[in-house]
Amino acid sequence: MAPPRALEEFVTEANEILETLSRELFVLDQQRGKEPDPDRLNAVFRGAHSLKGLAAMFGVDRLSRLAHRAEDALDALRLGKVPLDDRMIDTLIETLDMLQAMLARVSAGTSAPDLEVGADHLQDRLAELAKGRSLPAGDLLEQVGIDPQIRAVFTEYEEHRLRENVKKGVGLWKVRAVFGLDDFDTKLAALNARLKPLGEVVSTLPSSRPGDEASIAFDLVFGSGQSKSAIEAALDGATLSTLTTREGPVEVTPPPGPALSLPPQPRSPVPRPAPRWDDVSGSGLTPLAEPTSTSGLRLSPESSLRSLTQTVRVDIGRLDALMNSIGELLLIRSNINRLAESARQVGSGVALPKLWGQELQREARALERKLDELQKGVLDVRMVPLGQVFDKLTRLMRRLVRESGKDVDFAVSGGDVELDKLIVEELSDPLMHLLRNALDHGIEPPEVRRLHHKPSRGTIRLKAREQGNQVQLEVGDDGGGMDESRIRQVAVERGVATEEQTREMDRRDLLNLVFLPGFSTREDVSELSGRGVGLDVVKTNLARLSGLIDIDSRRGDGTTFTLTLPLTLAIIRALMVSVSGRTYAVPLSAVMEIASVRHADLQTIERREVFEVRGQTLPFVRLARVFRLPEVERERSFVVLVGLAQQRIGLAVDELIGQEDIVTKPLSGRLRAIPGVSGATELGDRRAVLVLDIGALMEELSRPQAAAS
Amino acid sequence: MSRFAELLDCFFYRPDEEVGPFLELAPEVEGVPESVVAEVPEEFLAFELAGETYAVPIAVVREIQKVGDVTEVPRAAPNVIGLINVRGEMLPLYDVKVRLELAGQPPVVRTKKDVGRGARVVLLRDPEGDAGILVDRVQGVVKLALSRLESAPNLGLERDAVAGIGRKDGRLFILLDLEQALS
Repeated sequence: MAPPRALEEFVTEANEILETLSRELFVLDQQRGKEPDPDRLNAVFRGAHSLKGLAAMFGVDRLSRLAHRAEDALDALRLGKVPLDDRMIDTLIETLDMLQAMLARVSAGTSAPDLEVGADHLQDRLAELAKGRSLPAGDLLEQVGIDPQIRAVFTEYEEHRLRENVKKGVGLWKVRAVFGLDDFDTKLAALNARLKPLGEVVSTLPSSRPGDEASIAFDLVFGSGQSKSAIEAALDGATLSTLTTREGPVEVTPPPGPALSLPPQPRSPVPRPAPRWDDVSGSGLTPLAEPTSTSGLRLSPESSLRSLTQTVRVDIGRLDALMNSIGELLLIRSNINRLAESARQVGSGVALPKLWGQELQREARALERKLDELQKGVLDVRMVPLGQVFDKLTRLMRRLVRESGKDVDFAVSGGDVELDKLIVEELSDPLMHLLRNALDHGIEPPEVRRLHHKPSRGTIRLKAREQGNQVQLEVGDDGGGMDESRIRQVAVERGVATEEQTREMDRRDLLNLVFLPGFSTREDVSELSGRGVGLDVVKTNLARLSGLIDIDSRRGDGTTFTLTLPLTLAIIRALMVSVSGRTYAVPLSAVMEIASVRHADLQTIERREVFEVRGQTLPFVRLARVFRLPEVERERSFVVLVGLAQQRIGLAVDELIGQEDIVTKPLSGRLRAIPGVSGATELGDRRAVLVLDIGALMEELSRPQAAAS
Repeated sequence: MSRFAELLDCFFYRPDEEVGPFLELAPEVEGVPESVVAEVPEEFLAFELAGETYAVPIAVVREIQKVGDVTEVPRAAPNVIGLINVRGEMLPLYDVKVRLELAGQPPVVRTKKDVGRGARVVLLRDPEGDAGILVDRVQGVVKLALSRLESAPNLGLERDAVAGIGRKDGRLFILLDLEQALS
């Protein structure tokens, strides 16, 4: 077996391939019944192919064998020998799941005997699927009159695509493009991108008539239903001629000059190695005389040794380190600003020419702009689309729905919303849990649904949308909703609340009881939804991400969980407040509004202070009291309203200091467990300032026990 | 430096080299006790707590700092004086006097004005997370032979934060058990 380090490389690389595969398969899955995009099919095929090779190289034979079977099936698929039907898609998706499971085992360093049977079964199914009909003889291509010499250089796949184009009756063209050697790759890619909307580039061949020494020429075989002028408009310098001798469906000009003729080339996509210099003496060839353009530059994707993606894999820890440096730079920036400001003011006691002060300030501003750019840049690097998680969840849900026997649509939207990589990673478990819950507890069996005059097919929604510097995720179902009386009963049974307490609670508080540890309204822990893990875990997971969760449920109409998360944990905007002479940072994402309240206007309900803001009565929570700080007697307090939708509290503080961008740093291991504090940050004067964990504070203050005490 | 030179350097590494920065940071040091080499003695950092001399192995000392701003941490354990910012890292500052029963209550320290002139923060490496302890004064580095360490005598006190006792030139060094001292 490969050494651990190499294996790690393998796992990351394989994971990346599987992610691409999953993305492409997901699209194919969505477009069931439509004619699949050949590029997409090809991409899936390439993925399986690379994975096979990679796994074989690292000696992970089991994975390699399965990937090989998948590759065979996909090859037959892209060559049009077998259709892309439901059976095929389902099998491919199952294969992907299996490959992922196997990879997980490899990564954990354990063997996977339990997966063997499933894998064998999948291999057989894939082999079965790969057996397609044989190609029709007496080819269309001959009828349209394509030079056999050109056909000789096509791969089987290219020939298949060409045939498909002929079947469609579109025009076949030859595009000749000449590019400089230094930038031909980008230019060629740009040309391909321009042509793609107009039709299909069947093959890209290095031209038999190379240009001068500083350039390289390509012949693109292009099938398109567009008119000649439309295609020419996209060419930008390349020349267009017809490929076939047959009259095309659109205006056709006879091919000018000599017909396309190419020297026969090996069919193998592997490029011939360039002659080594020790060959040269023997043969009469000099390496330069060998047109490098025809030997090495067959741009067949299979032959590329470059990695599959244009990405750099970076340990998130390195980005954190970068972010920390930026945080410190920001502090230095504010110090410089301060210096510049005092230098600019005349008569401030600083013996500096005013001009010099202005100069300094100008430079300080320039620094500020650049720093902002840098900060934004690093934050952007950390952002990944939620789609990565959504795709995984979609596949999981497909399986779960199938196993549950319920009839459920799974609707996903907002996969393009981007979030900090760390948050996205941490989200998959809570989301999976909520979705399982929705399927298992939310959606009723079809008979029950019909009884309630609902469509027998249920719907589970997963939705993401960006809102300012937050992201809102919704997991909803149109199932039976939560049973209040049942919640009440269980809460009392499990001792999370007393009967009186539950009677006094409004609907919202009652619903929120389900987030308390050890709460589950269904005794039978089903195979589907978590094994004894409750919603409390979901809530704690979210709190770790500075996220909040809210629940809305209507009897008979379904349940919706709303998750609110910051875009990134790296830098957040915070409101700095002061209480009894201490400074604290309140994440602005949790702040709804700010009010000023006269203590004389306070009232109490059961001895707990409340205040009124625009007709709403809210708890007035003195932060000084929560933190047991010496209280200063004052006439009025500022109140920071924090919370979610209707569930709000007012945190009373002495002063508001202002807003700041802060880098929250975790407290050292020994202090991690301090409730209500999520971390610390430093201010311009290097002082450590605690960052409040609003989610935890609210939970603590709204807990029934707190009410009782 | 070539790879080979680096290896050589490791081979001829002298532990005394690490002492320098500590002495600079702690100007009140009384001078390094001279070493008498029998076995290779271990180095300890000696400091004063309520008139007694305590010591911790040099290997666990990260650095020594003057006392700066300390942020109060509500709801933390009673022996936590507060939070200090060490070049962007947020570390807890502990008081060990309460644990050692040298004092009844941890001092309230918010700025350098709250402590004596000689007081320092000794930053310690710890698998559970680095932490600082507040000491009255840093004395310096002392070399103690491990074979000559005694266990703490039973004085009828509950002192599990003491790992042992070392003697050198007629002076007594009380070795701290960090895990216990910070708990």
